[in-house]
Amino acid sequence: MRNLIIPLLVCIACAVVVSITAVTVRTEQIANVENEKRNKIISAAGIEITEDKVENEFKKITTLYVDFRSNEFVSVEAKYDHLKAVLKSDLSEIVPKDKDIAILKRRENVGPIYVWANENKEVERVVLPIRGYGLWGTLYGYLSLGSDLNSVNGIEFYDHKETPGLGGEVVNEDWKAIWKGKLIYNQDGGVELRVVKGAAKDEYQIDGLSGATLTSNGVSNMINYWLGDEAYGPALKKIKEHIKNS
Amino acid sequence: MKLTGKEARKLLFDPIVENNPIALQILGICSALAVTVKMDVTLVMCAALTTVVAFSNFFVSIIRHYIPDNIRIIVQMTIISSLVIIVDEVLKAYVYEISKQLSVFVGLIITNCIVMGRAEAYAMKNPPIRSFLDGLGNGFGYSFILIVVAFIRELFGAGEFFGIPVMPEWYPVNNFLLLPPSSFIIIGLMIWVIRTYSTSQVEENDNPLKAHTFKPLTVKKEAADG
Repeated sequence: MRNLIIPLLVCIACAVVVSITAVTVRTEQIANVENEKRNKIISAAGIEITEDKVENEFKKITTLYVDFRSNEFVSVEAKYDHLKAVLKSDLSEIVPKDKDIAILKRRENVGPIYVWANENKEVERVVLPIRGYGLWGTLYGYLSLGSDLNSVNGIEFYDHKETPGLGGEVVNEDWKAIWKGKLIYNQDGGVELRVVKGAAKDEYQIDGLSGATLTSNGVSNMINYWLGDEAYGPALKKIKEHIKNS
Repeated sequence: MKLTGKEARKLLFDPIVENNPIALQILGICSALAVTVKMDVTLVMCAALTTVVAFSNFFVSIIRHYIPDNIRIIVQMTIISSLVIIVDEVLKAYVYEISKQLSVFVGLIITNCIVMGRAEAYAMKNPPIRSFLDGLGNGFGYSFILIVVAFIRELFGAGEFFGIPVMPEWYPVNNFLLLPPSSFIIIGLMIWVIRTYSTSQVEENDNPLKAHTFKPLTVKKEAADG
């Protein structure tokens, strides 16, 4: 009998204490994760982060939401999280096999664009969330474009499972630095930017990561997908107008 | 049996040099290798482990007469893992950056041999206050080794102290010290120093090398040629 009662009491006591702690610190933890996300967005935009600046910098951002089905800007509820939406059948849809180059399987219906605009309502830079399959798992990151909405401002990955030292070099500062100034769209408006094997030859190419061909391809594919017609491509063409009229 | 000041001091400070959990009992080595690259990360880890070992000792000791003997390890593990979860949650809330660097090692405190070892060896037989002090003492012993190792690794490996560059510019940083095997060497050297100072810790040689007792093989010339 004692063999049952004592463990039961210990378990109940432990469970109560653990739950109380978890609930008490929940708000701080959520704030930390939120803060981390902001930091990544801001550093993807090529702005140096200082402790007190993040909050101010984030106030300059207008967050727009794009419905990928209609390519219209829509409004969403305050707590909307596009990555959580992927898990809900009414907020996301299956990507057709032939169009699923980034291997997402499901894509949210509505995704955010973070826009920096100046006083004259001109777009200065935008940041888009990107994600796609690499070698071992999905890479999550942000891509920032300059005021022409064609040249890359910066790229940042905040979660990936690639091999340390090979594919894991996607977070290498030197590699991220070569993205700056590269161009996404060619004259016909198609996504031209690629991560290539070896050294880049023109402004549409990024040096591949040696020993990480599959990760490099994965990064190419996710840029292609998210900036293409299936995702943010059409909305980016309208965004200047939208900000002007807002 | 009343706890005297002398006894309390012994419980608190003996594990630092005389009976160090890492240097003498060689427990808890894994995290000593993994989290000693930077001082700030190490200090948080030390605080986390000291808290867990002190309180797990305390709580195990409180209910030690009620724990059925045949399932005592499971009951101890329940208490230890609850404490570790609490510590992990608190770290994630208040020192988020460092908790990201510590990643799995906070969770792995559950399997840290020092925590289990003290609960099993001391807290099961002694009253709560003594057990608490014993836990604190062993936490200090662990922290002492980790802080020295982290100090050496950060200073000579990265030329920094708490992230602030302190070494003169001509000093070439030793990247080997930033890799986990370097702590093996540093801990080994510390054990050598401690045992030179405190000779009672020197172990007897269980397996002394003996001289050869058999004759070397004589190979016949023809056989060797053939």
